[in-house]
Amino acid sequence: MSEAEAIAASRVPAGLKTALQRCALAAILLVVWWLVSLVTPAYVMPNPIRVWQRIVQLTASGDLPSNLLVTLLRVIAGFLIAVVIGVPAGLVLGSNRTLGNFFEPVLPVLNTVSSAIWAIFAIIWFGLTPLTPIFVVLMTALPLIVTNVWQGTQAVNADFVELARALRFSRAKTLRKIYLPSILPYFFSGARLAFGFGWRVSLVAETIGSSSGVGYRMRQASDLIQTDQVFAWTIVQIAMMLVIEILLLQPLERRLFRWRRDVRS
Amino acid sequence: MHDERLDVRVTGESAARETAPAITFDAISKSFTRPGGKPLEVLRRVGFVVPRGTVVAILGPSGCGKSTLLNMAAGLIAPDAGSVAVMGRDIAAGTVDWSRVGYMFQDDRLLPWRSARQNVALALEAGTMPSRERIARADAAIDLVELAGFAGAYPHELSGGMRSRVALARSLVGEPTILLMDEPFSRLDAQTRSAMHRELLRIQALRQMTILFVTHEIEEAVVLADQIVVMAPRPGRIRTEVAVTIPQPRIGAAATTALVNELRQSLGEAEPAPENHP
Repeated sequence: MSEAEAIAASRVPAGLKTALQRCALAAILLVVWWLVSLVTPAYVMPNPIRVWQRIVQLTASGDLPSNLLVTLLRVIAGFLIAVVIGVPAGLVLGSNRTLGNFFEPVLPVLNTVSSAIWAIFAIIWFGLTPLTPIFVVLMTALPLIVTNVWQGTQAVNADFVELARALRFSRAKTLRKIYLPSILPYFFSGARLAFGFGWRVSLVAETIGSSSGVGYRMRQASDLIQTDQVFAWTIVQIAMMLVIEILLLQPLERRLFRWRRDVRS
Repeated sequence: MHDERLDVRVTGESAARETAPAITFDAISKSFTRPGGKPLEVLRRVGFVVPRGTVVAILGPSGCGKSTLLNMAAGLIAPDAGSVAVMGRDIAAGTVDWSRVGYMFQDDRLLPWRSARQNVALALEAGTMPSRERIARADAAIDLVELAGFAGAYPHELSGGMRSRVALARSLVGEPTILLMDEPFSRLDAQTRSAMHRELLRIQALRQMTILFVTHEIEEAVVLADQIVVMAPRPGRIRTEVAVTIPQPRIGAAATTALVNELRQSLGEAEPAPENHP
């Protein structure tokens, strides 16, 4: 008990220390930004206060939340389609050697295609519709999810499959109780990567092939040389991704994988 | 070798099943084909009977096909020739009630993402038992192996001996009438293994199961078994069968040491007994 308490006691100041370090880093960046903004024109580097006012203004007008939501929904849509196609595809390719060998070259090829190329194809095929960014997110996320699930199936312990056989599990039960939990960590890291990439490429897609969303608004602002707005959109979306990471992904990961040995101790 | 079958047919098949041995191996032969190699003869005409409520050890060096025999009793491997019957039912006919047959592997084989309790409950998940009852039974099995208080722990938080207890609880949770064990304690250190032997004997006194286990250690066979089937390798065949009549507790008893030494000499093992003399 006393050992556990000692670890807990040493961890709290460590957490506090990290938080202080993060705040200090943010403060330094802000100061540097402000100093640079003093010696440059506003259309090159607007000062932090002006950007903050712009964020407040865009939020108050509803422009910011609605476009943020539009982009987020597109990313989620593309991501979910990638999961729905990619998980079964990865399972099939991982469990069937012949199919796996046959389709193996497809993934590296898909991975080398730049998302800008997907965006151009998407515009040709879907025009300026929401389908364009969704398609680009899908094509970026899909190979990541397939690859990771595929790798996960390779990592399933044959001993556990034998255990399921000795316990007379049906195929469906073996899949659900042995394969899926074994693959979950691989799926999770793939999905996490896919969502992050998906968000970034959705902005690219929106700047060239959409009439709404964060990417579209950023291009519009840059066309009108409203640099303060470009900064405002950038900061808001970074903040959003941080919030998703800290409030959603990290707690989810902790919950799903709490059975893992804690490597910190 | 089972001519008595002819007699019992008169009284009916179900009556025959009630009195049939727990496990019957009848003239089992098996060869494995290695990829690109000649077929390897693993078992040649092996036949013996495991009577109900007894503990039988299959003792032999590696390569004598003892694990293959056990896996046949578990219905995981089919013989090339001969037949295996569990509770009087031929496995090949597919009518064996496997929910009453427990299996314990050489390693603990605990799923790392499940707590001890959930690992034990896994053995009940092939059927349709409601989860609340599964958990209640798993907790009871964990109590039985004296791990109460560790039900919520994950495998990596447990010692080797505790993990072995969880694996034992998993093989017992279905209240098996037959327990099959494949060198279940061979990966434990001597002291922990001895503790697991006591544990198993204590539970056997409560449950009166039929236990068939595989081992390469003479002492383990002598301490646990009522009957020892000694196998010879390449091809695997029965060398001799030994009945053990020493009363329990056998661990540390002089008669146990004597029998171990006697067997060791007659089986041609030169190494001295590893146990310490009082």
